[in-house]
Amino acid sequence: MGSAQSRRIDRVAAAGALIALAGCVWLPFAVSRANRIVAGVPAGIGSAGAPGYALALLAVLALVAALYPDRGRRPAFALASAAALAAILPWALGRSAVTLLAGAPAFARVSVGGGAWLTAAGAAVVWFAASQAASRRTLGYAAAGLVAASWALAFAFGGLDRLSLVMEYAVQRDLFWSAVGTHLSLVGISLGIALLIGVPLGVAASRVGLVRDVVLGVVGVIQTVPSLALLGLLVVPLSLLGLPGIGPLPGVIALTLYSLLPIVRDTYIGLAGVDPAIVDAGRGMGMSRLQLLLRVEAPLALPLMIEGTRAAAVTIIGIAAVVAFVGVGTLGVLVFLGWGQQADDLILLGALPMVVMAVVADGSLRWLGRAVVSPGLRGDLR
Amino acid sequence: MIRLENVTKRYGETLAVDSLTLDIPAGEVCVLIGPSGCGKTTTLRMMNRLIEPTSGHIFVDEADVETLRPEQLRRGLGYAIQSVGLFPHLTVGENIVTVPKLLKWDKERMAARVEELLTLVGLAPSEYEGKYPRQLSGGEAQRVGVARALAADPPVLLMDEPFGAVDPLTRQRLQAEFVRIQRDLRKTVVFVTHDVDEAIRLADRIALMRGGRLQQYATPEEILDHPANKFVHDFMGADRALKRLGRVKVSDVMRTDVPTVDSSTRAADLRSRASCAEERFLYLVDGSGRLAGWFDCADLADGGGPESAMTSVDWRESAVASDASLKEALSRMLEFGFRSIAVVDGEGRLLGDVALPTIEAALGAGDTHVAAADGQGGARP
Repeated sequence: MGSAQSRRIDRVAAAGALIALAGCVWLPFAVSRANRIVAGVPAGIGSAGAPGYALALLAVLALVAALYPDRGRRPAFALASAAALAAILPWALGRSAVTLLAGAPAFARVSVGGGAWLTAAGAAVVWFAASQAASRRTLGYAAAGLVAASWALAFAFGGLDRLSLVMEYAVQRDLFWSAVGTHLSLVGISLGIALLIGVPLGVAASRVGLVRDVVLGVVGVIQTVPSLALLGLLVVPLSLLGLPGIGPLPGVIALTLYSLLPIVRDTYIGLAGVDPAIVDAGRGMGMSRLQLLLRVEAPLALPLMIEGTRAAAVTIIGIAAVVAFVGVGTLGVLVFLGWGQQADDLILLGALPMVVMAVVADGSLRWLGRAVVSPGLRGDLR
Repeated sequence: MIRLENVTKRYGETLAVDSLTLDIPAGEVCVLIGPSGCGKTTTLRMMNRLIEPTSGHIFVDEADVETLRPEQLRRGLGYAIQSVGLFPHLTVGENIVTVPKLLKWDKERMAARVEELLTLVGLAPSEYEGKYPRQLSGGEAQRVGVARALAADPPVLLMDEPFGAVDPLTRQRLQAEFVRIQRDLRKTVVFVTHDVDEAIRLADRIALMRGGRLQQYATPEEILDHPANKFVHDFMGADRALKRLGRVKVSDVMRTDVPTVDSSTRAADLRSRASCAEERFLYLVDGSGRLAGWFDCADLADGGGPESAMTSVDWRESAVASDASLKEALSRMLEFGFRSIAVVDGEGRLLGDVALPTIEAALGAGDTHVAAADGQGGARP
């Protein structure tokens, strides 16, 4: 890590620190409203008191860390300042909510302002840059644990529960959790069905040229149909079969269809990309076609198949929101309710869990891709 | 062991193999050779039914291959190809036991076989068993490919340019090891190559093909001495005499009773040995029998001191290995300007020598086992 490159300024971390600093001093940190739908009154970082000023100070520290010549400690220092930013942010928001709500009527709300979002985004950028440069992962895990604990404590003792977003949650608690459950099961069921259909289709496409042309063509066309249009189009064939055009059935069908393209395509590419010499050797040694597929071709195509599944999962976690239009209670319901009521925090209550789901699905499938793939196929083998 | 009867393979209008009849005896190496597109690889691949013949019959061990399930047939025919085709997601050990696994051997037997085979092909089992194919050099991968083909101890090996994808030096080493392994295992080997020198070195019989037709099927000596037609003559090349030498192993013709002295020999003894020797040179070996140099007897007889009459050499440079061919021996002699050259084993121990007249005799004789001709002992720089 002693290269000249790492001794220079860390541009990514510097940009992140600047973003965080801009969030602290430039945009309104919180927005207060007399009730949940009227226009808000912006409030600066001063409303957050000491934790607010601490945020600004930490952003400056992160900037110094990014600009100061690296003597080996920079990643740890930058990571510490990013973690501290993330850990103190809920306390600043809580203090801001408490301050702004003091003496206000019961309907009054305090929402998270652009400045706080920007600070969070900046801290995330610094965190990312620092963990890329850090030699050990344990530091990042420890910092993440600390931040999570700080947020939990801020809910209990820091006034974070007074924020509008949290109050929306308190009101919609039952709807929220049922929406999360519906969303996850819809995505899980659709992904499962898509794997059951898509993997055999990908295998067939890699064997027969005609199947390849037809299947890849059809799933490609499906992907280009907008999600709302697809849900509309499904009404006709379903009614011909005497099935309902609204409800979970069209939802599952739509999400399954959208999952097919990445799964079929990546299964096909993975299998078609196997070196013909390897197939020839396997056949010449007396493997049956099934043995060749299961013992040789599938393990070689596995990294791409997992990648296709990952892409499908991330895609349909988003599309599942739209399925709320046909009467399925996904997280989209909260978003549409929020739009209808012009309640920004209700929209966020639906949107944020989807972001978390997508990030978790992405990360866990990437991890799976590394964990199950043979070391012989990894690039880092020496 | 393998018999082809009027085998024809037609792709549309083109005849890839045209009415080929071939009988390959058990335990022999049959090299299929010819220019590209001559049908040699197609012929090989019809033997394990990777390609089905248009007409004709192929018998392996008296069984018509058509009557066997392809998978069953192939598990009994070892298969090694130029691009090796090792499975990249499996370790070297797992690659080697591919066929034993298909045959459902038990674990202990497979583990023992991996160790045995890696040792056979000259790779340290403890070091290589757990490696992945991408960690191997080209030569190592080819060795593993051969080990994999041998895994279930099939009586027949089908090899399609198995040493084709490596540098010439590695290829020569692999060829020498193939000769050594085949000497012990006596497999029936069908070996496809386009390299005439490789064919002459390895083959018991050469089947020379052109345009899907067999031009000549005979021993390398026969093909070199009596080419069936102008194509065979031209294909084998103008340096047929030299190529013949590639067939003769040094150990088959070397003189083994060479006069030697070791470093404990006293100067007086040395002088008396020199004066009564018919030889011009006395080989000097060290305590463990390794070649260290030689004395010029004429010089000693004229009263020269042992130091002035002695030439010190490194056995790695000024001798040939016993499993080298006469072609290599001659090449070394020409390089150094010697009239004879010492023969050593792998550790440098002196085994004998080969002189120019021996090589001339080998060139003249039809038999590979030429009696060692009287040669002038020793060497002259």
